[in-house]
Amino acid sequence: MFRKTPLTGLALVGLTAAAFAHTGATGVVKERMDAMKTMQDAIKTIKPMMTGDAPYDASTVRSAAEKIAALSGDDLTRHYPEGSTDHLTQALPAVWTDWDRFETLAAQLETTALGLAIAADNGLHGAGHMMENGSGMMGGGSGMMGGAQPAQMMTADHIGQMPADGAFAMMTRTCSACHDQFRKDD
Amino acid sequence: MLRAGMGLLGLLTAIAACAALLALWPIGTPVALGALQPDPQRGAYLARAGGCIGCHSDPGSDRPALTGGGPIKTSFGSFVAPNITPDPDHGIGGWTLEDFARAVRQGIAPDGRPYYPAFPYAFYGALSDQDIVDMWAAFQTVPASPETAGAHDIAFPFDLRFGLKLWRAAYLHAPPTAPDPARPEAWNRGQWLVNGLAHCGACHTDRNLAGGRIAARHLKGSDDLPGGGTAPDITATALARTGWTAGDLAFALQSGVMPGGDTFGGGMGKVVQHSTAWLTPEDRTAIAQYLTTEN
Repeated sequence: MFRKTPLTGLALVGLTAAAFAHTGATGVVKERMDAMKTMQDAIKTIKPMMTGDAPYDASTVRSAAEKIAALSGDDLTRHYPEGSTDHLTQALPAVWTDWDRFETLAAQLETTALGLAIAADNGLHGAGHMMENGSGMMGGGSGMMGGAQPAQMMTADHIGQMPADGAFAMMTRTCSACHDQFRKDD
Repeated sequence: MLRAGMGLLGLLTAIAACAALLALWPIGTPVALGALQPDPQRGAYLARAGGCIGCHSDPGSDRPALTGGGPIKTSFGSFVAPNITPDPDHGIGGWTLEDFARAVRQGIAPDGRPYYPAFPYAFYGALSDQDIVDMWAAFQTVPASPETAGAHDIAFPFDLRFGLKLWRAAYLHAPPTAPDPARPEAWNRGQWLVNGLAHCGACHTDRNLAGGRIAARHLKGSDDLPGGGTAPDITATALARTGWTAGDLAFALQSGVMPGGDTFGGGMGKVVQHSTAWLTPEDRTAIAQYLTTEN
């Protein structure tokens, strides 16, 4: 019994840490977790407008996009100083070993979010806009079989010409591309 | 002592004999594709849906598309999806259409060697001759490049490829793709995509110690993906339990956004970016309909 206690205690600490990962963090780790949560909430707010499940409102879309743009780019990367690997963090070591790629994706998020803010007034095209996907011809420099991501070659003004749902998906796929490589998922 | 030595020698001879027989064991069947009319545009669509471009490219590197992917780290070693541009020396420029068909649908290289199952050819077995002809035509439009992503780094004894013939005999099975006339067309299309070309089960199914997919665990998730990742249970029961509707799923496959506003990670972002975002809305809906329908 006595010998088991420390282990049980540790297990409890572990469970508590897992359950309160976001609220238990401190300092820069907490700040960046809060920023991610703010971006998640912004996406959640406008997602039903993108799917047609809620009435489209351009100013709501624009303000959500601006919120995300403000938290991306340099503002995002400055929250990842070397060594900020508090055990509650979900950031993988690749953030620091592959910093250039991380920085590129953070900048791409800013570009696509600013693009969405411009595109907000364009309204929806409906799923499957040809410019954004489906046609297969926008894949990059090597024709129909190109592997490059269109967002890497586009400015916010270019993206601003797209329907809002296309710009939105371009932005959220950038979120995913970064999570793929740099976020530890459960 | 001598007897033990003789015994060991005998055992080694027997192993060598088995290995020699295994190395000579012919696998696969010949293919004849006739004179089908190629549609490279359709082939490019299939190549995206099948993940060819995603896995054989590494957008973060400076190399052109299809010159090889990033390393896939498994417990057997590190696999690298090779250059599949039409370069004659470093890509598939020296291949015939029949070589391509056998490689994709049967997992056998032009020189007769079996591919490692990191290449999900088992799922591609459901591709029709027309699909193959179209994909081959699409690959001909890619600029040839001699750049490569490096070689596999496989631990002994898994580096002995003839051992894969045993693996094929034991584990080369694929989930069903044949249409069920009693089901709606979209469900059948979804089944063909999920269980065939899009090979969802390659990640979303647990594997045994030999790396073979456990058929009874089909689409029930895996916590042992290359690189230590996990893939969730995507059976209809699990999706219903976690609050996913068919509409949520179709939208997530386009945008990466999950019902709560969070976005995919763990490798699924790449799948969306390189494959499912390129699909028609009808195909994404078909996938969603198939996955959310209780069997």
